[in-house]
Amino acid sequence: MRTDPRFWDSLRTTLTLIAIGLLIQLPVGVALAIILEKNLRGTRLFRTVLVVPMLLTPVAVGLIWRFMFDADLGVINWALSLVGMDGPNWLGARWPAIAAISIVDSWQSVPFIMLTVLAALANQSKGPLEAAAIDGATQLQTLFYVTLPSISNVLLVIITIRIIDGMKMFDLIFIVTSKGGPGTATQTLGMLVYNTGFGFFQTSRAAALGIVMVVLIAPVYVLWRKADRVSR
Amino acid sequence: MSFARRKRISAALSYAVLLLAAFLSLFPVFWTITTSIKQRADTFVLPPKFIWFDPTLKNYSAIFHTRGFGQIYLNTILVTLGSTALCVMLSTLAAYALSRTPRFVSRAPLEISLVLVRAIPAIVLMVPLFHITSQLGVYDSRVALIVMYATINMPFATWLMSSFVGQVPVALEQSAAIDGAGQVATFWYVVLPLLLPGIAASTIFVALFTWNEFLIPVMLAGNSAKTLPVFISGFISARNLDWGPMAAASSLAIIPITIVTVVAQRALISGMSSGALKG
Repeated sequence: MRTDPRFWDSLRTTLTLIAIGLLIQLPVGVALAIILEKNLRGTRLFRTVLVVPMLLTPVAVGLIWRFMFDADLGVINWALSLVGMDGPNWLGARWPAIAAISIVDSWQSVPFIMLTVLAALANQSKGPLEAAAIDGATQLQTLFYVTLPSISNVLLVIITIRIIDGMKMFDLIFIVTSKGGPGTATQTLGMLVYNTGFGFFQTSRAAALGIVMVVLIAPVYVLWRKADRVSR
Repeated sequence: MSFARRKRISAALSYAVLLLAAFLSLFPVFWTITTSIKQRADTFVLPPKFIWFDPTLKNYSAIFHTRGFGQIYLNTILVTLGSTALCVMLSTLAAYALSRTPRFVSRAPLEISLVLVRAIPAIVLMVPLFHITSQLGVYDSRVALIVMYATINMPFATWLMSSFVGQVPVALEQSAAIDGAGQVATFWYVVLPLLLPGIAASTIFVALFTWNEFLIPVMLAGNSAKTLPVFISGFISARNLDWGPMAAASSLAIIPITIVTVVAQRALISGMSSGALKG
């Protein structure tokens, strides 16, 4: 298996998806949480609306996104054409397909990050914030030097959970790119286990891949403990 | 720039961002539901027809007339109810035991295993589970699905419940004990009523996870225990031409969730906040 290029390819795909996902989702989730925390009028309504994506059946939303990503008839490329852009053939090549999966994954995961950060912000003590305001810090300075450090352990927990979820990602790939297509361009580790065990019926090989996955994910536990210790 | 003016601008910007986010969140839902009531020809036109189309229920009747669809919907409902009840009951008791017995010998390993089980990708368990279910003769049965779903969701539910158990003051239980209540009576009459919000939150979450679960049934259920997500996934092999029925099937999966979300939003949000923060 160590020499099997399919294994290394799928590992690379998995890690790429996790990295892109975190780069998009963390900033967006934190930004939305900060805006909701201001408690403007209508915040409750917005919060409910923004939570909806994370609750919906991944298989169902995967299919509808696939429809929207359709190169010729999809509503996304139509919208891009309105602003004069030529949308890619989303699901026809490796990088556009990875982008498409990241978009759907982010759409489903940002609400989780937003809510978690929101809860952390609600719990933080107001003292340092007031001190910063008295010292004349700008809003951006307060954000980077006071708010974010005070919720850093929660951010660590979020990163841990998102890495775990990224290793697990299955439904979306199964649907959006038809089990890792085009070809095996978006085959993640989970998809590889599935295709090996249930597509080619090499069950012992699939089981071995599964063990490797568990070994790969074990270090995450250390990250988890660290976050846990800081938060107590 | 005056302070008040800057504040107004920042509020306006915030609303702009929120509106954009709300639009992006809801558009796919809107698109699913409208596509499900469009004529076939209307799903293929550019520019897309957003509102002005000739609505039809044809797609829904096609879905309802698919052979076995009633069975599939019933399976999904029964499996969701059964495994949610089993899982919430066991995890409430487990959470109570974990947080009220400090010198419980196996406590630390148990807690570690709760985290680890959550971290292990379920796909890893599929090969052994496949063998186990077929050797026990329960492959493709609702009972097997109920037990497996409940097991898979136990760690999360226990974790969530223990954050709620942690908020129940021990003093209450002590005074009940002084008044002569036994352990069971204390749990039933004193602790349980206080845990109801937590139980509501866990119930909603486990039910949602179960309703949405795809990996387990796609591998461990054949035709007789098939659930809705597996049915929906069948559309990807259908050469992508019939978007109407596909959207109708998807709507049947997501409309109940949307209703639950709106009705139970308070329990959901409190569950999400306390569950996530417990870390």
